[in-house]
Amino acid sequence: MKFAFLCRERPGAAKQRVAVIGSGPAGLSATGYLVCRGYEVDVYDKLPIPGGMMTFAIPKYRIPLDSIMEGVDELKSKFSVQFNLATKVICGERHDEGDELATNTVDLLKLVEGYDAVLISTGTWRSRRLGVPGDDAKNVMSALEFLLNLHMVDLGLRKSHIGSFKKVVVVGGGLSAIDAAEESVLRGAQEVYLVYRRTIKEAPAGEYEVRRLMRMGVNWIELAAPKSIVVENGSARGIVFQRMKLGEPDETGRPRPVPIPGSEFTIEADTVIAAIGEIPTPPIASECGDLAKYVGKDGRISVDKNYRISGRNIFAAGDVVTGPSKIGNAVGQGLRAAKEIDKFLSARILAAVPR
Amino acid sequence: MEAGSSLLRAIDYSKCIGCETCEVVCGFIHELGPFIKLYELGGGVKKPISCFHCSKAPCIEACPTGAMRKDQYGAVYVEPSKCIGCMACLYACPFGIPELSEVTKTSTKCDLCRDLRREGLTPACVAMCPTRAIILGPPRAIGDEVKRRALTKIVYLGELK
Repeated sequence: MKFAFLCRERPGAAKQRVAVIGSGPAGLSATGYLVCRGYEVDVYDKLPIPGGMMTFAIPKYRIPLDSIMEGVDELKSKFSVQFNLATKVICGERHDEGDELATNTVDLLKLVEGYDAVLISTGTWRSRRLGVPGDDAKNVMSALEFLLNLHMVDLGLRKSHIGSFKKVVVVGGGLSAIDAAEESVLRGAQEVYLVYRRTIKEAPAGEYEVRRLMRMGVNWIELAAPKSIVVENGSARGIVFQRMKLGEPDETGRPRPVPIPGSEFTIEADTVIAAIGEIPTPPIASECGDLAKYVGKDGRISVDKNYRISGRNIFAAGDVVTGPSKIGNAVGQGLRAAKEIDKFLSARILAAVPR
Repeated sequence: MEAGSSLLRAIDYSKCIGCETCEVVCGFIHELGPFIKLYELGGGVKKPISCFHCSKAPCIEACPTGAMRKDQYGAVYVEPSKCIGCMACLYACPFGIPELSEVTKTSTKCDLCRDLRREGLTPACVAMCPTRAIILGPPRAIGDEVKRRALTKIVYLGELK
């Protein structure tokens, strides 16, 4: 991915300084645009390798690592972008998934003082929990945690996998559920179940992906939702599911799954993976001046139509603004936000010219 | 890229994950774009399509005003000052690629990022594709790459892992 696809070299000497927090597709695309407009860009990421979900969550058979690193290396060598890795930027305190890989913490408000503009593109590094009794057992994990661990092992950042990994049950119907189930099969799990509360027709990953996994040997169970986890000595041994039927459309327009009383059944498992959605993780975890009021209940940052937190030199883009989406959406958000940052900083230079 | 040597773009649909990056970057740099677009084919499968820049382009044959042209690298493009927006090019195109712009009232389509190529840069969709599904180069090199990729699906290389 040639993030600086709009130029061959930085035009002239660096004019102003921009910090990009989060080096996923939104942050790196913004960085590429900004260096081509002559800015000096410092990138911050809590993880030790850039790329965000592309590097640490999406399987390598979908996106090869060298495709990302080629663009990152160019940003470093040709455009002097400084990558501050394993560095978590936050105001206040909150633990998100992957934070254990950060060795430094930088205060957001202090960081903002040191730059002409800041872009927040920190993505969605928290997972929804199953919210059923026993979901805190030690072999119950989120798809993100599971995939992150596999990537860490592959990248040489951790020695062994988590869980005994023979009977894997994945709960969910989106692409992270697909990826978790497929990785389980590819890495030698004996039995893999994919369980979704609606039908294959409603699965966000699409019917094609579900059928592809079924062909790989994944057991697809639809119209079932977890009711509790069977826990022995702190470890999950199985999941009790309840059958569902489709009801009236809910607020998303999809038919609501309605539990059928007395329809419980149990699936044995030594690894339980919850793939039921990720939540935005803005670097704002306390009042932070008045920044907290720009963070919604769902964790998303509210920006104006110019991707800017009104009246501030802080911009935001990508999944931390939209919620979980596709790489293309994040890339587009990053590019458009970078264009707005350029407009904002150029206007500031013009305003400073004495009349 | 040497002048006179033609360019071929190919999309490897087995590598494409439908992430929409190509469509988004194309739309970002072209006011009238995007000129590469994804369509859902059912079951959640979405793939991109764009101009094939045919060697014997029927759209150029069909264009009554000489607006549809080929640049020195073989990229088929529209010269807007000559285009009358009749869309004979659309009728001629087996893939339905040319589109009528409501803004300029002319035919619009992919020109393999002529502006970027003039600067020695790569078309945006090729440069930014995360999976390297979109490739561009001289026809022979693209032919070799496609065949090399096919071989990796046939030949077992497990011992190397």
